[in-house]
Amino acid sequence: MRRKKDNAWYALFVIPLVYIFTTVVIVPFLIGIGYSFISWDGMPLNEKTFVGMKNFTRIFSDQRFLTSALHTVLFTVISVAVINALGLFFALLVTGKLKIRNVVRTMLFMPYLIGGLILGYIWKFIFTDVFKMIGETTGWNHFFFSWLLNPRYALAAMIIVTTWQMAGYIMIIYINGIQGIPEDVIEAAKVDGAGFWQTLLHIKFPLIMPSFTICLFMTLSNCFKIFDVNVSLTGGGPNNATEMMAMNIYNEIFSLNNYGYGQAKAIIFFIAVASITLIQVAITKKREVEM
Amino acid sequence: MKFKKIFTILLATTLVMSAALTGCGKKEETGKDGTNPTPTKAASDNQEGNGTKAADKIVIFQSKVEITDQLEACAKAYTEETGVEVEVWGTTGDDYLQQLKIKLGNNQGPTVFSLAPGAESQELKAYLADLSDLSFVNNIAANMANEIDGKVVGIPYTMEGFGLVYNKDLINASKVTNYDSFVKMLQDQKAAGVNGFSLSQESYFLIGHILNTPFALQADPVDYINKLVAGEVKLQDTPEFVEFAKFMEAIREYTNNPLEVTYDKETGDFATGKSASIHQGNWSYGMFKDYDVTFDMGMMPLPVTGNDKLAVSVPTCWYVNSQASPEEIQAGKDFINWLYTSETGEKYMMEEFGFIPVVSNMENPNMDPLSQAVSEYAAASKTISWPMNEWPAGIVDVYLKPVTEEFFTTNMSGTDFLVKLTDAFVQAGQ
Amino acid sequence: MKRLGKFLLQLFVLALCLCYLFPIYIVIVNSFKNRQELYTNMMAPPETFTLEYYVTAMGKMNFMRAFGNSLIVTVVSIAFIVILSSMTAWMLVRYNNRLSRCIFAIFVATMIIPFQTIMMPLMQVMGWIRDTLHIPMLNTLGGLIYMNIGFGASMAVFLYHGFIKAVPVSLEEAATIDGCNKFKVFWKIVFPMLKPTTVTVMILDVIWIWNDYLLPSLAISDKARRTIPLSTASFFGQFTIEWNLAMAGLTLTIIPVIVFYLAAQKHIVKGVAAGAVKL
Repeated sequence: MRRKKDNAWYALFVIPLVYIFTTVVIVPFLIGIGYSFISWDGMPLNEKTFVGMKNFTRIFSDQRFLTSALHTVLFTVISVAVINALGLFFALLVTGKLKIRNVVRTMLFMPYLIGGLILGYIWKFIFTDVFKMIGETTGWNHFFFSWLLNPRYALAAMIIVTTWQMAGYIMIIYINGIQGIPEDVIEAAKVDGAGFWQTLLHIKFPLIMPSFTICLFMTLSNCFKIFDVNVSLTGGGPNNATEMMAMNIYNEIFSLNNYGYGQAKAIIFFIAVASITLIQVAITKKREVEM
Repeated sequence: MKFKKIFTILLATTLVMSAALTGCGKKEETGKDGTNPTPTKAASDNQEGNGTKAADKIVIFQSKVEITDQLEACAKAYTEETGVEVEVWGTTGDDYLQQLKIKLGNNQGPTVFSLAPGAESQELKAYLADLSDLSFVNNIAANMANEIDGKVVGIPYTMEGFGLVYNKDLINASKVTNYDSFVKMLQDQKAAGVNGFSLSQESYFLIGHILNTPFALQADPVDYINKLVAGEVKLQDTPEFVEFAKFMEAIREYTNNPLEVTYDKETGDFATGKSASIHQGNWSYGMFKDYDVTFDMGMMPLPVTGNDKLAVSVPTCWYVNSQASPEEIQAGKDFINWLYTSETGEKYMMEEFGFIPVVSNMENPNMDPLSQAVSEYAAASKTISWPMNEWPAGIVDVYLKPVTEEFFTTNMSGTDFLVKLTDAFVQAGQ
Repeated sequence: MKRLGKFLLQLFVLALCLCYLFPIYIVIVNSFKNRQELYTNMMAPPETFTLEYYVTAMGKMNFMRAFGNSLIVTVVSIAFIVILSSMTAWMLVRYNNRLSRCIFAIFVATMIIPFQTIMMPLMQVMGWIRDTLHIPMLNTLGGLIYMNIGFGASMAVFLYHGFIKAVPVSLEEAATIDGCNKFKVFWKIVFPMLKPTTVTVMILDVIWIWNDYLLPSLAISDKARRTIPLSTASFFGQFTIEWNLAMAGLTLTIIPVIVFYLAAQKHIVKGVAAGAVKL
């Protein structure tokens, strides 16, 4: 009897959201999977042909797609590390004893308010014109030149811009975690004679493990999916050196009109990213301290 | 256990729903597939002709951002004259096509929309209504209307032309007529501290437009493209392209790196006299309005193999959505008819949009100098076409731009450049 | 001496932050320049201070209308996201069975789907709901809100899920014994304790929904229903960006978010967290 009642409550609480979520995300996604077996340009009145697994086998000989996957992995690994390090540093800074912490917090958060496209355009100007100008006036033109014309530096530019945009966002979640640490635990540690680093490493870090899980996951999935900044900052160039997977898929579907093949790429992309992030969540979750 | 049941039911509904969905899609497809749907539908439209009662509201969705405000004013004027409400949807130029396709795809398409005639309109031909019976169709200049399967489906906006937009104080056009004189001009300008010629980093301004010229110089450009995509001909074996590659090498050697130049900077450098010429079209004149330009500018052809013709064609056409109700289609046609035949329509097209006339019953006395040049070349029949509209979809952004970026950042030879461009066409055509 | 050091440190941090915001300086400065001034020097302060471009931008954007639409969409979407997600997450944590874990995993996994790959089918599903059930899902603010809830669900559930685990069960059990039903337990006891996370979810979602372009651009066609990002889109041509209007529009867009953020961050203050209770 009780159990039945519990079940009804469970249903009442969970079903509305799950229902909306299903119609908005799951069903379209399943339809998308269906399209990946079809050769089609995306227009309902135009011809669809069933091609079976052909779209999927074609992926593995698509050199350009595989290269973009490599760029994406490289970009993601570095960005995730840098963003989290910086975000955590910011969070510690603004939860510390600085008087101006509220101002600082707002300022650090502001970059996230600018949408990715405009952000890319503005930084493009900085990396080309401003850098060139600095290089010419100071003579340090080994470092200050138009970064977006050099494959390696263009990738670095992507990482810098993404970090600039996301660090403040990640900071918010870390702040949420740090402020969840009860005052008395920190006080107790201090009484026991723990220094700054000891408190940080042995008390704070383990206690904000849930924030780590969330932040790592968010940065991972956001970096994998990076699109706006990619389009407006480098446009994939020079010579495709910074083309990420999302952009490659987008081009396949909307520029080259290969809707079915693009969907197949998207499915593979999804499976790859899903497994990586789920593994990450599983690992970090295990390390969370039960309180 | 109850949730399992509920969950199963939920799952079942979802499955049924998706099944129904795909089912619907298929039904629609089989109903209209096979027998080309447009002719029957268009034919019935024709029979009904003016007998169809027109709807009292139409929706316009179009890609030319520059005329958005003017078009809205024009729509208001139309409503005042006829009582038919016209709504203009706003858009960015960037994702217009993608948005249009999604809207057409789920039946919330506009009544009247724009496309580039060529590969774009060919792909969407199932959605294009037959406009052959519009009264002014015979007045449209030769080869300017978009015809598919023998029917007029697209009404041209205007003519546009591109080539070398040059500073008349710095360059004497009559002395730049072939490869040698072009290179000499670049060298002279460089010696005088001026950048002789400029492209810019945006895909069409970097490679799309300039590569159009050697294609247009082929005897049958469309046939040439088909053979190129099929791998039967190669750019590196075609004389016009070989010379084109020499032009590109010279541009790389004697001018600023176009990858560091945006459209804003390209036009700014030109307006302030730092560049003597830019590869642009008459549309770029609007970019100069904030500058005090102190010189006269003109337009001349890119002299590949001595070419003396400007690349002039129709950038965009009006189309009517064949999937709209017959009443809406009629209303859409009425609007286009009004735009091209009424006095108010002409006033807007010529004075407000600043278009170059494409129908014989219109004239534009106040054209800017660049449009004037285009119009003169067209009047003298000294024009070449835009085969770039027939290139495989998306090729300029996805394939040609990266190759060109490589060309401008390395020491790649002109021949290697052509080899890579050839590969790009073969790949994009798959 | 120590005080001076501290003062200098604060000054240093502030200076660093100002450098960090250099790109935002560029946005603001250039909202006062015309094309020629912009070409001459993008970094210099404007020669004349004029609100001309702001006035033009507001007129072209139909600012008040768009602002109203954005406000409705943002507020209603977030209210639903917060309520439904916190409820769902709470149940998923408290009934940690296979079904719950499965639902949670699906929520998390779908966060990685790139929006571009489902937007076409999504529009088809919505079109289908409109045609068969006659619920106007497309071209209405309600439909847009519905879709926002669906897309916001994953992250909100994920955030709540992580923090609900830190909320002790004991209080809930006590309340249950006192005769509260689940609904009461949740609203009286659990939800207030989730306040810091609720604020976090709200901040992140406000920014996302307020600035979102792609989804509204597909879902909304009517001019009268445009949100702010849609109304600024016309400043961005494929080749001709009207920088001054775009930058002015952007500034107008982000000011409300900054105001909101300043108001909200007071609530992420120390001690609100379940610290008062056990932990």
